[in-house]
Amino acid sequence: MEKKLTMPKLRPEMEKGVLCAWLKEEGDVVTTGEALFEIETDKVVNQIEATESGILKKQLCEEGDTVDVESPVAILETE
Amino acid sequence: MKKKPEWLKVRYNQEAVAEVAELMRDLKLNTVCKEANCPNLGECYRKHTSTFMILGSICTRNCRFCNVTTGHPLPLDPEEPMNVAKATKKMGLRHVVLTCSTRDDLPDGGAEQFAKTVRAIREVCPGTTVETLISDMKMNTEALDAVIAAHPEVLNHNVETVKELQVDIRPQARYERSLDVLRYSKQKDPTLLTKTGFMVGLGETEDQISSLMDDILDTGCDILTIGQYLQPSPQHYPLARYATPEEFANYKEMALVKGFRHVASAPLARSSYKAWEVLEDVHDLY
Repeated sequence: MEKKLTMPKLRPEMEKGVLCAWLKEEGDVVTTGEALFEIETDKVVNQIEATESGILKKQLCEEGDTVDVESPVAILETE
Repeated sequence: MKKKPEWLKVRYNQEAVAEVAELMRDLKLNTVCKEANCPNLGECYRKHTSTFMILGSICTRNCRFCNVTTGHPLPLDPEEPMNVAKATKKMGLRHVVLTCSTRDDLPDGGAEQFAKTVRAIREVCPGTTVETLISDMKMNTEALDAVIAAHPEVLNHNVETVKELQVDIRPQARYERSLDVLRYSKQKDPTLLTKTGFMVGLGETEDQISSLMDDILDTGCDILTIGQYLQPSPQHYPLARYATPEEFANYKEMALVKGFRHVASAPLARSSYKAWEVLEDVHDLY
């Protein structure tokens, strides 16, 4: 089953986020709890963990892209 | 924005955060984790740890390092003490940290609400230890007495920064007053563990840090936390530097040599971060 992964809302006033780095490539196996990508906020760099296991089928944005909160950033193929 | 060093990367688990956030919403509670945009939120929530912020989410002071909203606070919620106790039980917390917005508008600074919350936790979760991270309560000794009488295991009050930067960073607070809160509390009840913390990266010098440690130690304080200042937004007090993990290790060594019983010093150390482990470490002090 395909599942869309979205830009998380890391703080109440956050509207957009910059995806600063991918930590998994397309085709990589992803396990629950593994870090998938990084988002930089004012205070720190947040490594966003996968909440499901699967295969990272497609990255929908590139490193450095600004993405609206809750917009898709990747597609995960789950069982 | 300065480039973030490698050691300022934190993990974030959306499901764990959503779960705790929902519980807090249901019980009409606030956490300082969310209000202060704490970098450790993801890790702590995953471990079912959080620091309750009582007395409402609006603060009467305007400290320039802090992300909590300044304004006119709402009246206290009489159900808050019991709701904190319920959340403590539901989350299975072994150690609870209670902090607050500073309430200069209340005659007792919110002391009675603190005491009620400690007592509610005692009633509902008898085995759980409690740490109160209080404001200076304008050094109102009656107010401090009310908190001390509830006998939390740890009484924490942060000095936040060196003497020389107090006016810029905490315009409505006073350095001596914060030290007096620690001194008075320890003298009033020597069995109480007292704790304080400060940030580095605001522009302080090494000599100023050393003097700050001396002044804190002189109050009889047991536990010290030292962490990196992280600028919440471009409107907040500007970040001067990122101290390295090695520098934090040196500060820890410096504090231990001076005589502190326990020191947590690391870039992401916060007064309530891993507070349980700190308490376990000093458990033989009881």
